[in-house]
Amino acid sequence: MIEVRNLHKRFGAVTAVEDVSFSAADGVVTGLLGPNGAGKTTTLRMLYTLVKPDRGTARIDGLDVAEHPLDVRRAIGVLPDARGLYPRLTAREHARYAGELHGLSGPSLDKRVDELIELLDMKDIANRRAEGFSQGERMKVALARALVHGPRNVLLDEPTNGLDVMSTRAVRTLIRRLKEQGHCILFSSHVMQEVAALCDRIVVVARGRVVAEGTPDELRIRTGKESLEEAFVAVIGTDQGLMQ
Amino acid sequence: MRRLIATVFRKEMKDHLRDRRSVLSALAGPLIGPFIFMAMFTLMASWFREGKPLEVSVIGREHAPSLMAFLQRHGATLTETPKDYEALIEAGKLDAVLIIPPDYGKDFSAGHTAVVQLVVDNSRNQARATIRRLTSLLEGYSGQLAAQRLFARGVSPELAAAVRVDEVDLATPERMAANVLNIIPIFLVFAAFMGGMNVAIDAMAGERERGSLEPLLLNPVPRGAVVVGKWLTTVVLASVAIGVCLGAFLLAVHRVPLQDLGVKARFDIAAVLGMLATVVPLAFFASAGQMLVSTYARSFKEAQTYIQLLLLLPMLPGMLLAVSPIQSQLWMYVIPVFGQQLLIGEVMRGQAVGAMPFLLGALGCAAAAALCLMLTTRLLGEERIIFGRA
Repeated sequence: MIEVRNLHKRFGAVTAVEDVSFSAADGVVTGLLGPNGAGKTTTLRMLYTLVKPDRGTARIDGLDVAEHPLDVRRAIGVLPDARGLYPRLTAREHARYAGELHGLSGPSLDKRVDELIELLDMKDIANRRAEGFSQGERMKVALARALVHGPRNVLLDEPTNGLDVMSTRAVRTLIRRLKEQGHCILFSSHVMQEVAALCDRIVVVARGRVVAEGTPDELRIRTGKESLEEAFVAVIGTDQGLMQ
Repeated sequence: MRRLIATVFRKEMKDHLRDRRSVLSALAGPLIGPFIFMAMFTLMASWFREGKPLEVSVIGREHAPSLMAFLQRHGATLTETPKDYEALIEAGKLDAVLIIPPDYGKDFSAGHTAVVQLVVDNSRNQARATIRRLTSLLEGYSGQLAAQRLFARGVSPELAAAVRVDEVDLATPERMAANVLNIIPIFLVFAAFMGGMNVAIDAMAGERERGSLEPLLLNPVPRGAVVVGKWLTTVVLASVAIGVCLGAFLLAVHRVPLQDLGVKARFDIAAVLGMLATVVPLAFFASAGQMLVSTYARSFKEAQTYIQLLLLLPMLPGMLLAVSPIQSQLWMYVIPVFGQQLLIGEVMRGQAVGAMPFLLGALGCAAAAALCLMLTTRLLGEERIIFGRA
């Protein structure tokens, strides 16, 4: 459960996020859609505690991100914008390292890592060093690392960026499965098709503000447009940076 | 907290030890010093080695038979002089040539000062020992004759020598050795900086460059634990480098013909322990300083540039000490790097300094290390460091 109230963030003279409020419920896939530079990544970074909001609050499972950053980090699994791997560690070692940093150890960690290797279909790369992994393989490792502690809330920043069709499908399947398990999933994207294919609720962000929020159907009705695509263009005011 | 530090430490160790090239260079770097040391001393010893027969090239031997007899009596071998002797001296193939002019005998018999010429090239260190021995032989001959002449005239030779200079050499063999051996502290300090350098760069600037810092800080781990875990890895590798360097110096010192140079270095177990007690705390500070600098850098290359510049600074006091040893004061030991270089010099000289300088040195390093680690931890909280990528 994620609740965001009136978040503000400025970087010098640039206002990155200006009054963003929305909520994302458990068992629901919430999409943060907006053109590049709309403030999606900054909003996520404030949620996963690495950027301090100037104003406003964000709570994850009732925990304030500014006041309890360590507890919040335990409650979330994050695929951040940066997905760097350690070239000399294997895929399995990446997942284990993250697990150990979350306080897991022994057989329970082994079992969890095996589950993830199964779930993400990465048996063939599990014991290979990350050096030379393809984009899709790197994504799988980053996802395993993010999910190793079994977080209730999952934050994904542009999860299908740069992936081929097969990898994109794998990520979508994973998101649907997490939803079935009752996780709260928040993911950002600038690709409309991506959001339309996966999301139950859509939060449209432009120039640091939430310009529309609701289910795909609600958005269509509110704007009086036939297709989602036109609905998005109508609420954002431009189609720049929105199309794939 | 301790478990998290251990987790970070184990991961960094595993990760770094798999980087063959970096580990090899960290271990080979500290061997450079002992190698230079060995080569230098072997060469010097071959120049200074005593007991080698003194070979004297003489021109005009027939003009001074009694001088020649004197030289031969004192162990000199007289040799023929090649025609191009000046070129040979300049080339370093001949040490010196003694020329006896034709009118030597005439002046000698008349009681005038008889002149001989010694042709040398003073810019050649190699020839210096031969020249010194030959000069003192010639002076001895001159003095002996002068004394005989005065006696013959009923004058005590003491009247002619108003002042006699007796040289009292205060430099004990150990002290002289320490002056020459000052090269060792420089390289031990160098090892403390070299050993952990690549880890420090990879652990901070490398994380930033790869984009793995953000995922790492997303874990519920206090930043201090991340910093300390990485720092410990750096300290361990720096300490290993120090061990390798010291071990190689030990081997070198025992193999090099130091006694031929008339120097004796103290390099027993106590001295080795003293050096370790001096340099290992330095590794604490060196590692922490490198971590701090590396955190500022956005890429591996950038960090390497900064850290290599940083490496030159601690070399300066060492060079200074090697050239002109200074009288140490207690407060100097607190200054990281400088204090350690002083202290190693004293340990080698065999001076009993007591526990205080060691303690002060370790405290100075620990305080500087703590400051660097705190600053690094604070930097890791800054958005421009976490997200700023090359």
